[in-house]
Amino acid sequence: MEGVIRILRRFVAATIIISIFLLIFNLVMLCVLVFTENNQSPSPENVVKQVAQSMDKQGDSYRLNENTVKLLQQNNAWAMLIGEDGHVRWNYHLPNDVPQSYNLVEVAKFSRYYLMEYPVYTWEHQDGLIVVGYPKKSHWRYQFDYLSDWLESLPLRLILLLISNAILALLISIMIGTRLIRKIRPLVDGVHSLAKKEVVQLDADGIFDDLAQSINSTSTMLQNKTDALKARDEARSNWIAGISHDIRTPLSLVLGYASEMEENSDLPDEQRHQASIIRRQGEKLRSLVSDLNLVSMLEYEMQPLHLKNIRLSVLARQVATDFLNNGIDDRYAIDLKLPTEAIHIIGDEKLLLRAINNLVQNSMHHNPEGCKIVLETALSEEGSKYHFIVTDNGQGIPQEQLKNITELPYSPKRKGTIKQGHGLGLPMVARIVQAHKGRLILESGEDQSGLTAVMEFPIKHQNDEH
Amino acid sequence: MVNLKDKKILIVDDEPEIRKMIESFLRKEGFFRIYNATDCGSALSICQTDKPDIAILDVMLPDGDGFSLLSSIRQISEMPVLFLSARGEDEDRLLGLGLGADDYIVKPFLPRELVLRLMAILKRVYSSPISEQLSVFQLGEQTINLESAVVYGNQKELPLTAKEHAILVKLYENQGRIVTSDALCQAVWGDDSYGYENTLMVHIRRVREKIEVDPSKPLYLLTVRGLGYKLLVKGTR
Repeated sequence: MEGVIRILRRFVAATIIISIFLLIFNLVMLCVLVFTENNQSPSPENVVKQVAQSMDKQGDSYRLNENTVKLLQQNNAWAMLIGEDGHVRWNYHLPNDVPQSYNLVEVAKFSRYYLMEYPVYTWEHQDGLIVVGYPKKSHWRYQFDYLSDWLESLPLRLILLLISNAILALLISIMIGTRLIRKIRPLVDGVHSLAKKEVVQLDADGIFDDLAQSINSTSTMLQNKTDALKARDEARSNWIAGISHDIRTPLSLVLGYASEMEENSDLPDEQRHQASIIRRQGEKLRSLVSDLNLVSMLEYEMQPLHLKNIRLSVLARQVATDFLNNGIDDRYAIDLKLPTEAIHIIGDEKLLLRAINNLVQNSMHHNPEGCKIVLETALSEEGSKYHFIVTDNGQGIPQEQLKNITELPYSPKRKGTIKQGHGLGLPMVARIVQAHKGRLILESGEDQSGLTAVMEFPIKHQNDEH
Repeated sequence: MVNLKDKKILIVDDEPEIRKMIESFLRKEGFFRIYNATDCGSALSICQTDKPDIAILDVMLPDGDGFSLLSSIRQISEMPVLFLSARGEDEDRLLGLGLGADDYIVKPFLPRELVLRLMAILKRVYSSPISEQLSVFQLGEQTINLESAVVYGNQKELPLTAKEHAILVKLYENQGRIVTSDALCQAVWGDDSYGYENTLMVHIRRVREKIEVDPSKPLYLLTVRGLGYKLLVKGTR
């Protein structure tokens, strides 16, 4: 909707600018093309003025200087001086059909229009009236009479004219624009819904029918593809869920009998020890199967999230406590740095606990010689992100492995062999963080000392209770 | 006191191997009245004829799922039920427990775990009510009775307040293990308990004044810095 209005606004603005430009262009063209001929130099008024001024009186006769004579010749003009008595006292190339004397009425007549069809111009002279005549039909003469009121209000009228022009241009452009927009709007809405993965079905008529048809078919195609992808993801995830289900029953038997043999005091120690190995490996298999299932559910976005308000510092303490309660090896030390207790995020408690747990496990796995692990919470500088940081001071991970360590093991993107664990730990963390709309950042020191894992979560924006 | 080993147990699972294994474990534990069923139909008929005291149900059965079987059983019997399922998803677990199952174990399981959980249910349901009481335990010179919320020692009787009692119960349930201050706050003040940490410290101090010889140098209720508290109990009951 906003987009449509923006388009309309731009359209109208463009139309107005074009109109103004056209107006200016027209004015300029008018001046350049139309009025140039008229402003020929010198104008008849100037010619007659020059004649009057350059006339020398020598005794009883008059003489023109050479420049003036040339000027008259150029224009094919003639000239005469009518004395106070109405007789022609002097002339220059006076045509034959022009009378030699004039009364008051005749002077008044030709001074306004023509003398015997010659366009004539007059100028006063100390001895009478100078008349310059041009060839017949070379000039049109008009008398302009204006009311002074009219002249005074002329600028105002011109401005009024301009304004009414501008308003007309605006109205027309809005009219055309809205008509166009009415046609375009469904298309714009259609494209917007396409971006939102919604089903689009537009009426395919009007000037944009082919466009509407394309949008419709694009929508259908996208919908089909999404459905197919979803079906495939679901099939894969269900397949893994099915397999892990089927593995559980035989594994129950293995674990059950193995642990029974382990506790059977009638058996020799060696057999009991072997049974305990079977049991431990069975338990490993059990956790692998359920991890695999969880990762696949997360990967295909089929893991339901039980979201609630969570303080990550609480989870940090719980993970640390669990490790301590279950007997942590002396080689490892867990420290907490929890300066921002009050911050909540929305998340799935079980999954987040799992993620933190995995990161700590990962640090332990990679550092069999022991290391110090620090769990830390921190607010990002601008306060929109919340970081949960797990740092160790152990061996770290080489840079080239760091890039693809969150890819699933044995996928084409994950190269290199998996040394410890089943390799699902970090991919699982990355996917849990993704499911919370966050990201996992892994950094290792330059000299491969220590690993820093940062889980970055968006903070819900709302002033918390505390 | 009722002998729990006399109780009749019904095992419903479509895998004969699993049934056989569970039965052998239970027999080893001393149970001897064990019934087997492979599907919902035979399970229901055993319920009607033999009236078992507890049932171990699989969720995936050839002629229906364990959840609907539980609903059918509930119409004729109120016996406790324990689910033993290969479906470990939260949804299944919550559905089973929501239907009134007493426990939900995910395969693969350790036999000891199954037996312990089974015993816990039997104890809760069939034992005399005395054993349901909260514990009485000894801390050095003092005897702490959680049932009556009183600390006895040096010919003195010190009653525990409701909050102190709740703290001690939570710590006693996890004796020897660290309990985070968050978990303690939640146990005492409920879910929205953030901000009570300082109040908790005050209450812990009061508990120490009642159970410790020298509250400044606690021997039993220990602080684990940055995490929470731990209750050390030597020789329970």
